[in-house]
Amino acid sequence: MNAVWLIARNTYREATRDRVLLGMTIAGVVAMLGTQILQPLALGQGDRLTVDLGLTIISMLGLLAVLMVGTSLVAKEIERRTIFNLLSRPLPRPLYLVGKWAGLSAALWTVSGLLGLALCALLTVKGLGARTPAVLEAVYLAGLELSVVTAIAVMCSALSTPVLSALYTLGFYCVGQWSGDLRQFATGAPGALGTLLRVIADLVPNLPVFNMRTLAAGGFTTAPLHLGLASGYAVLYIGCVLALAAAAFESRDFK
Amino acid sequence: MTVSAMPSPTPAPPARPSLDAPPDPALAVETRALWKSYRNPWTMRVTRGIEDLDLGVRRGEVVGYLGPNGAGKTTTIKILTGLHKATRGRAWLLGGRVEEPRSRRQLGFLPEQPYFYDYLSGIEYLELAGRLSGLGAHEAGGRAKQWLGRVGLGQDPRRILRKYSKGMLQRLGLAAALVHEPELLILDEPMSGLDPFGRRDVRELILEQRERGTTVMFSSHILPDVEMLCDRVAIVLKGRLERMATVGELMRGSGQRIEFRCAGRSLAALPTELAAVLTRNERPDETVFTLADATRQQEALAWLVSQHVEVLAVTPQRASLEQLFMATAEGRGTGDPERDARSA
Repeated sequence: MNAVWLIARNTYREATRDRVLLGMTIAGVVAMLGTQILQPLALGQGDRLTVDLGLTIISMLGLLAVLMVGTSLVAKEIERRTIFNLLSRPLPRPLYLVGKWAGLSAALWTVSGLLGLALCALLTVKGLGARTPAVLEAVYLAGLELSVVTAIAVMCSALSTPVLSALYTLGFYCVGQWSGDLRQFATGAPGALGTLLRVIADLVPNLPVFNMRTLAAGGFTTAPLHLGLASGYAVLYIGCVLALAAAAFESRDFK
Repeated sequence: MTVSAMPSPTPAPPARPSLDAPPDPALAVETRALWKSYRNPWTMRVTRGIEDLDLGVRRGEVVGYLGPNGAGKTTTIKILTGLHKATRGRAWLLGGRVEEPRSRRQLGFLPEQPYFYDYLSGIEYLELAGRLSGLGAHEAGGRAKQWLGRVGLGQDPRRILRKYSKGMLQRLGLAAALVHEPELLILDEPMSGLDPFGRRDVRELILEQRERGTTVMFSSHILPDVEMLCDRVAIVLKGRLERMATVGELMRGSGQRIEFRCAGRSLAALPTELAAVLTRNERPDETVFTLADATRQQEALAWLVSQHVEVLAVTPQRASLEQLFMATAEGRGTGDPERDARSA
């Protein structure tokens, strides 16, 4: 576990010293303040708009960070050969991947946490402090979603180039967001197509599980069971994806 | 000037141990029937990196690993350091199978043209390197500081690596390889790209490690350095180990030439009995006769005197490692590495 901690700490350091995440955090805060301009257009739903757009900003900026940083996380190390200095030490390759995932996830949790706190502060200033618990739950689920997408990005990055990894990760994210619709569509599709769609829907992450933006916008919290199940699902899915990535990464030669 | 490749005078090698036999405890690096081939996923064409390589580096010795570009040096080193997986055969580091990460606990490795995290400072990088090699946090911090100073980078330990010059990065790479004081040091082209001062520093570090009892294996194209530092030399050509011997053994096999420096230009015709072994080289103010067979020195000297040639100096000439290497490579048809399409 010491090796995972060292790689994670180094990856966290890399991500936070990169200006991309800092820029995104600042852009997120500015965008949240910017939502206030739209208040007159909200037809009396200004408070709901503030929460909904605020949480959307957190999710979208997180996704952008995964696509910009996460998808090149391992590929860049291979390309720049910095990986030689790590894997020539007594470091098992699977632990290296877990460390990379943990480091970037921690950095994304930090960004999501900071933006979540900024949103709570904004709501408190607007006299909507009562919605803070719902917002914090929604931010927690958004963090879980980003950790799942980061695991996919690390897997793609370990096996492909940064550009292709970004495309694959975005593909997983989009299909994952519509996995419920896909499953429903599969029930009406004929024979083999239905089976194929069902398999795809089962393989991609069920991302709607992590979305409680609408609920939080109305000021409602979710059941502790939902939070527990979503956490368990995220841990299981991340474990499977990283295990798959480690199996493929184990036999890879580094040129 | 070339030296003909002489067949090795050493007796037939001992029988190869089976792949399943335990590793030789006297060896720090051991490979048995090691193969590496690469398959192009599009053309399905197979390129061989190394073939049937049996290599043994004894504990405590310094071994130079030589070969032209594409001979398989870097491939061998990458298999030993866990960056490539062998296609067939076995390899051990200090008695541990190279497939097991713990075999690299006592390994220090400097890759060819090392790259670093440019967002870290020198001290942070060495701490990370030390901790990944098993040092505790406190010890890694102390060693990082010590080694940064040892390689001449201690004045500004917080300087970010993107501000380092190439020579500084090479020295940092060496410090990272040595920070945990390993028993085995593998260096891939450690002198490449360094100025004469940098090369001298690397040579001194290698010699210092030898004094400590560290086993050192390094590849290099700078043969005078290899000649100066190594106990033994391994020559790999076309993926196969061509020769492995001490520098002295290699030299003994090469024969010795005698050079006669004579005043003025000598137009005397070479005698037929010496024509096969004696050559003449005219220079502006002198003539140099080179005798390929040292046993006929007196005969050649007598002939020169009989021709009233003023002999200024008689100098025995030993072939350099570079000449031996070139002769061996040319003998195997790898004189022009650019033509060799192998990947290394």
